[in-house]
Amino acid sequence: MEWLQLRFAEGQADVVASDAPAQTPPPDSVDDAPARAPGDAAVPAGNAGDAGAPTADAVVRTVGLTRRFDDVVAVGGIDLVVRPGTVLGVVGPSGSGKTTTIRMLMGSLAPSAGEAWVLGERPQAFTAPTRERIGYMPQSFILYPELTVRENADFVASLYGLFLFRRRRRVRAVLELLGLWDMRDRRAAKLSGGERRRLELACALVHEPVLLVLDEPTAGVDPILRRTIWDEIHRLRDRGVTSIVTTQYVTEAEEVDQVAVIARGQLVALDSPGGLRRRALGGEVIEVATAATFDAAALADHPGIRNVRQTGLRSFQAVVDDAGSAAPVVVEAVAAGGGEVASVRELKPTFEEIFAALVEEPVEAPSDEVQQSPPQVIAA
Amino acid sequence: MKALLRILALVGKELIEVMRRPGAVISLVLGPFLILAIFGFGYHGYRRDLQTIVVLPAQSNMTTDPQEYDSLGATGVRVIEVTQDRGAAEDRLRSGAVDLVVVIPSDPVATLKQGQQAELAVEMNQVDPVQANYATFMAQTLTADINREIYRRGAAEGQGYALEIGGQAAKIPPEVIASPTTAKVVNLAPISPAIVAFFGVAALALVLQHMSVTLLALSIVRERTGGAMDLFRIAPIRATELVIGKIVAFGILGGFIAAISIGLLCGLLGVPLLGSPALVAATILLLLGASLGLGLVISIISDSERQAVQLSLLVLLASMFFSGFVLRIEEFDPIVGSAAYLLPVTHGIALLQDLFLRGAPQHTWQLGALVLITAALLSVSWLLLRREMRPA
Repeated sequence: MEWLQLRFAEGQADVVASDAPAQTPPPDSVDDAPARAPGDAAVPAGNAGDAGAPTADAVVRTVGLTRRFDDVVAVGGIDLVVRPGTVLGVVGPSGSGKTTTIRMLMGSLAPSAGEAWVLGERPQAFTAPTRERIGYMPQSFILYPELTVRENADFVASLYGLFLFRRRRRVRAVLELLGLWDMRDRRAAKLSGGERRRLELACALVHEPVLLVLDEPTAGVDPILRRTIWDEIHRLRDRGVTSIVTTQYVTEAEEVDQVAVIARGQLVALDSPGGLRRRALGGEVIEVATAATFDAAALADHPGIRNVRQTGLRSFQAVVDDAGSAAPVVVEAVAAGGGEVASVRELKPTFEEIFAALVEEPVEAPSDEVQQSPPQVIAA
Repeated sequence: MKALLRILALVGKELIEVMRRPGAVISLVLGPFLILAIFGFGYHGYRRDLQTIVVLPAQSNMTTDPQEYDSLGATGVRVIEVTQDRGAAEDRLRSGAVDLVVVIPSDPVATLKQGQQAELAVEMNQVDPVQANYATFMAQTLTADINREIYRRGAAEGQGYALEIGGQAAKIPPEVIASPTTAKVVNLAPISPAIVAFFGVAALALVLQHMSVTLLALSIVRERTGGAMDLFRIAPIRATELVIGKIVAFGILGGFIAAISIGLLCGLLGVPLLGSPALVAATILLLLGASLGLGLVISIISDSERQAVQLSLLVLLASMFFSGFVLRIEEFDPIVGSAAYLLPVTHGIALLQDLFLRGAPQHTWQLGALVLITAALLSVSWLLLRREMRPA
């Protein structure tokens, strides 16, 4: 684990936030744009070239976004660009600043420093048409317990300016979509926790937003409902809807196109799930078992192998750029060094492990911790 | 032992919860204290002297100096004007500018010589049964004071008085000699309502204000504590729309409750409705508007449901004391009495009592005052709500 953290620290420079407040004009707003290929959708503002330059096709852009509560820095200098059709997962431990960031993006909290543009406008000065293009699902249940499922959805649809016929159609559509139509006349107070979350999601979707912001939509819901929610988010992405989803469930990082890892108010990583894994490990890792004792140190200078770590007398880990193509190279290198490979496996740590490596203070972890995850065998 | 532990845990939790809501604690402790202090310092308990016009008969050579009549020493009555124009005096009585009109008979001596009591017509314009009884009592006192003055002057003038009535004294009945003048009290108000009618209408105004203040205050506080205000900050809804939506909703509810209450008052308790129903509706609308504005202000300054309820109850307490519901505003210190007119219900009570029991408002300026209070409270609450809906 120390090694993972070391590697991550080296790569962190790419995404670490700037403390400088922005002096830049807002980007142009783009909506209804076709979905982008996952992996190229959200980038740190610092990676987008000049941090001050406007980004033409950004749905969300922040520069040095900071929020202090008295002397406490809840969010410190986040730079972020989210492109249309992206699902951005904001992952971080409880109290890390996820909700504060979301609230600043939604305009309910003013930044202490830095700036944000959402759909081309500063959130503090959202116009009504822009607000109508945003769907927001807050962290806590805020709907009205004395209203029925349909009345709640109808109320929110009215808030967003949907007139009667469209409202009826949309309310029915979202309630059917989320499996709530059959309980449309049930009061919200009588719903289970999962049903309430679904109702809130329905309310966030009812006005067909182009930007969907979901603050921990899967918190406290069962795995089946969690799957339903993610399927819906993916379906919306396919229709060009941009989503920003916060979650405490690190495993859900697999569900998004880009993962923003926030810890202690800082954006500590922003990448695709695969990129995040590579970043955390310093590349892809293959674990090699040899038939006899083998000193792997000599392999460190071998072309295609970025780093080597001896993990036992007859085992070592090699960091490579691409595990699939590098495995034969490693086998050959071992053979050239007089050894014999018994097995080669790609080491694929879980996101919990990656996440812990990214956000936690350096901790003493047993060396076999990484190996607790079932490794994927790519060669034998 | 474990039961004691659980009880102590509950006690501790409750005390901590209360103490950690400073607004609620302040309103809980200071609120009633402040109201009672204002009441203690502002209420003197003295009834104001009844402002009286004395109407002299035509071609009377009696003095027109009000001080001369005041010097009779009638307790609780203050003569502010002496006139021969009875119609004008009655107009002022009807408008509420004065409390009593005392009409002096044309030739009291001749009446006395005929062995009859000279009858003073004492006119008032009261729908308040308590105040009407008081005015009647004061009329009797006035008569007694006049009779006493007659005796005093008779004694002072010695036999001149006896000589004046000459040998006819024997014809005068003893009761006339004992009480040469008597008072005939006339109430110019359309009706003399029963206690239940008078206070029933006042209670209606009080209930409408309290209901409106409490419901709206709680509604907004619940929006805030439930998180809906976060949604409102993000959704394309403006503070103006929120204020109008709340006012209209609770206005409809208040109007519905008012209609039912009026139906019960008139149908079951027999309270007469002499005024225009449209004007009654307009007054209730204004009262509801001002009360809802007050509720909005309370909701915005309250940090919890508990504090909102406390502040609403404080408004009710202040209204009970200062609005004229029980104690007349005139019995308060002028500053406190003037402040009472800042309460919507002060005007609501007066206007509704007049509309129900007189047929028309005695002080139409109170309608304007209600409009001003409504506008001021709604403006303040709108500004506060707009500020609350801005990014924190």
